[in-house]
Amino acid sequence: MSTAIDRGDATRPSRIPANPFATRHTKPGAVAPLDHGGTPLDLPRLVRRLRGLRAAAIEGPHGRGKTTLLTALADAAGSAGTPVAVVRLRSRRDAWAALTAIVRAPAGSLVCIDSWERLGPGLAAVARAAARIRACLLLVTSHRATGMPALWRCETTPGLLAAIVARLPDHGGRVSRGDVVEAFARHDGNLRESLYDLYDRFERRVREPTAG
Amino acid sequence: MSQPSDTGRASPRVTVQFDHPDRRYEPQDAITVRYRIEGLDGERTQAVEHSIAWYTEGKGEEDLGVHFFERVTDPARLPPTSNGGEFAARLPSSPLSYEGVIVKLRWCVRVRIFFQASRDFVSEHVFDVGRIPPTRVPPARSP
Repeated sequence: MSTAIDRGDATRPSRIPANPFATRHTKPGAVAPLDHGGTPLDLPRLVRRLRGLRAAAIEGPHGRGKTTLLTALADAAGSAGTPVAVVRLRSRRDAWAALTAIVRAPAGSLVCIDSWERLGPGLAAVARAAARIRACLLLVTSHRATGMPALWRCETTPGLLAAIVARLPDHGGRVSRGDVVEAFARHDGNLRESLYDLYDRFERRVREPTAG
Repeated sequence: MSQPSDTGRASPRVTVQFDHPDRRYEPQDAITVRYRIEGLDGERTQAVEHSIAWYTEGKGEEDLGVHFFERVTDPARLPPTSNGGEFAARLPSSPLSYEGVIVKLRWCVRVRIFFQASRDFVSEHVFDVGRIPPTRVPPARSP
């Protein structure tokens, strides 16, 4: 099921315009995954590559778009008819949910595990072995090498951040290209933190039009 | 914001009329909404859902509360037989609309159209409950 959303009058009659950098517009699933140059990734091609690898990782530091890509690939595989399970590891206590998802996965299905490194080496080895036994595909995100082939390494550039901003709802000229470059540099390429930074700039300017 | 459907089909247009033209309501007010759907280009529908809900918007986790929900599947009340509808509810005492810096709380009505071709379209229209003034921020030092 594909959903189109029309929020054409979302700012009326509210006195403050909607912030295009709010989480609802920038969270995984709301933003299409782009490469470091700002070009949309070829998701069907990545899914085909994953099928060949059987187990693979999306690698990159914090805030580089790993979860956004994981979510998009899970959706793409699901749309193609593959059963998909997604587990987000917030701490090691969620390990049981990840192992359960793999043990219950039908052969040929896809299990996506976000923040794989939180499993720790021992449980990660158990999870990989279980995925092999269940003959399911395994796709994980990690800040560091996992021992699995890298399906994609998430890298960011100011151009990528600018491309994301261009795809968000209109900011009414309240954020400049200079703001984007500055936010990117201030947060060392962390897109999540950069978008929070732009959120704050937008809020300040929309409430104090003479500021900034 | 209007996001075109990824199927390439034309998006319908939903126009909404609130019984309070300024879209400002007090807690526990009755609210009545009339809507009209245009631009379906003959595409067949399965159902239309009406909801009145609030959501938070900001930098963190989002929250959502559905106050009223109704699903219409009667063909006599669906396009092409009927290109519009009406729904009504009594608003609760809280939460109130709020325009904070870190978090905002917005009330909205949504009309969601389910098509037979495995896609749907959501039209969202914001209104205010209560009269909390927007939060001000001190003059910026930087940036």
